[in-house]
Amino acid sequence: MTATLMESGRVVERGDVARPSFAAVLRGEWLKLRTVRSTWWTLLATFVLGAGLTILMCWGNADWLASADADESPGSFITWGMMVAQITAVVLGALVVTTEYGTGMIRTTFAAVPARGRVLAAKAVLVTVVFFVVGTGTALVGYAGGNYFLDREGIGMALEGDVLRSMYGSGLYLAGIGIFTLAVGFLLRHTAGTISVVLALMLILGNMVNLVPGAVGEWLTKLMPGNAGSAVSTPVAFNPNLLDPWPGFGVFLVEIAVLLAAAYVVVRRRDA
Amino acid sequence: MIRAHSLTKRFTTGKGQSKNAVDGIDFVVEPGRVTGFLGPNGAGKSTTMRMILGLDAPTSGTVSVNGHRYAASPAPLREIGALLDAHAIHPGRSARDHLRWMAASNGIPTTRVGEVLELVGLEPVAGQRAGRFSLGMGQRLGIAAAMLGDPPVVVLDEPVNGLDPEGIRWVRTFARQLADEGRTVFISSHLMSEMALMADHLLVIGRGRILADCSMTEFMSDHAASYVRVKAPALADAAAVLGGRGLEVSRHDDEIRVVGLDAPSVGELLFEHRLAVHELTLVRSSLEDAFMGLTADSVEYHAIAPSEGVAR
Repeated sequence: MTATLMESGRVVERGDVARPSFAAVLRGEWLKLRTVRSTWWTLLATFVLGAGLTILMCWGNADWLASADADESPGSFITWGMMVAQITAVVLGALVVTTEYGTGMIRTTFAAVPARGRVLAAKAVLVTVVFFVVGTGTALVGYAGGNYFLDREGIGMALEGDVLRSMYGSGLYLAGIGIFTLAVGFLLRHTAGTISVVLALMLILGNMVNLVPGAVGEWLTKLMPGNAGSAVSTPVAFNPNLLDPWPGFGVFLVEIAVLLAAAYVVVRRRDA
Repeated sequence: MIRAHSLTKRFTTGKGQSKNAVDGIDFVVEPGRVTGFLGPNGAGKSTTMRMILGLDAPTSGTVSVNGHRYAASPAPLREIGALLDAHAIHPGRSARDHLRWMAASNGIPTTRVGEVLELVGLEPVAGQRAGRFSLGMGQRLGIAAAMLGDPPVVVLDEPVNGLDPEGIRWVRTFARQLADEGRTVFISSHLMSEMALMADHLLVIGRGRILADCSMTEFMSDHAASYVRVKAPALADAAAVLGGRGLEVSRHDDEIRVVGLDAPSVGELLFEHRLAVHELTLVRSSLEDAFMGLTADSVEYHAIAPSEGVAR
């Protein structure tokens, strides 16, 4: 396509200029992500909470879990910290978008990359990859540490089957929450608003719909994003009434897709 | 080149009311000269600039950069560089990193980052977090960002805001240099005095409408009214002589003001009639006055002059 550019200090028409590739947009967004401290603080929190709390819970409960009066499975504890670490995915997923709106930098971004859908896609890809890697890594460290204490009581678990699935499942769940929040961030544009809405939806509303009587309440509970998506991140769920890991994650993916589609439409139409 | 055709932006102002922030304007910003976009606050300057950059969608009408819609540009930062808001940067990111991500997103080589930092004189503080920057440094960073792609079209929204006199002069020289290189330079301001020194061409906007679209010299001669002040012992006689020549003459206390003839000719005319003259001065109202006069009706918020405020 033709573009008017400067070459050797003169204005020239060039017919062979290609649009910056998606890879370029992705590189730009990656530079943005890694050049602010909040990214590293948040990811450090993911690791400390996710791995640390798992180890702490296993250490504290190993001997009870091994006893006869245990009414929970050790499988519910081996990724316990990830339930708390998911909050950090909400925070980073929001910050990646909302700080740009808060500072007005979104205008610089959209002036540099007028194809706004690409900006959204690049951010979503980055959040997914970062949280899949960090989430899975954190879960593995938590497993290694936690299982040490479980092993001592003779209830250790091998890294296979549902346990193995819960490791990369933790990565998938955190990645999912990250994009989910990112999409909400594009819709709401405010940091505090985005974080509150997503946390309320995941942690509070997810439990409150339980109070709706009958099958309706039961299904609402199953379908709430936090409940549907989190099953994949534990070998044995605390709540036995939730959807199975993969069907649940499928529901979560559909919810993410709907939000992303809404964000895509709104971002392209709305004035920046 | 930037071309706007019937460009309109309507905002709803609550209670179902709406107003045209930009009201069907037509203009062309030509390359090779500095075009000043002048208007009081709230006149529609920034909205127009955002529409040029595809950030705001026009309610109706079109605006194109180098013949196409900005959003359709294959090389956005290399076609148009813009400074819209010096604060629109992440406070935690360094100046260099800010420029690096912008360069990366448009496939511009990273070496260019060092060049533009040097160009605006920010090299020594490039590693500092942008949040610590003064307004002036932020403006320089914004200008560096605008120049990243070495674009033939440069749009700067109030670039001298917050700059010290040295910085203001730098922007002026810089804008001149860009125009001399054949680039299209479009600079907004609400200060006439600034534009008078910087712009070749003027686009005056008020309440979303174009009030003047002319060269700086034309604007001066058209809008900056001038008259010759005459003080003479026989003021009435002098007024009669000058009025008799079909000149516009008005009397103010101990002086008369003559419009339509230069000072030497007024002096000679009075000399022919043997009338003594004590003072003969060409008085030019400033460009600031001219601009104020032109936009008086379109200023959004008038301050009440102190004397009026005390009156009741």
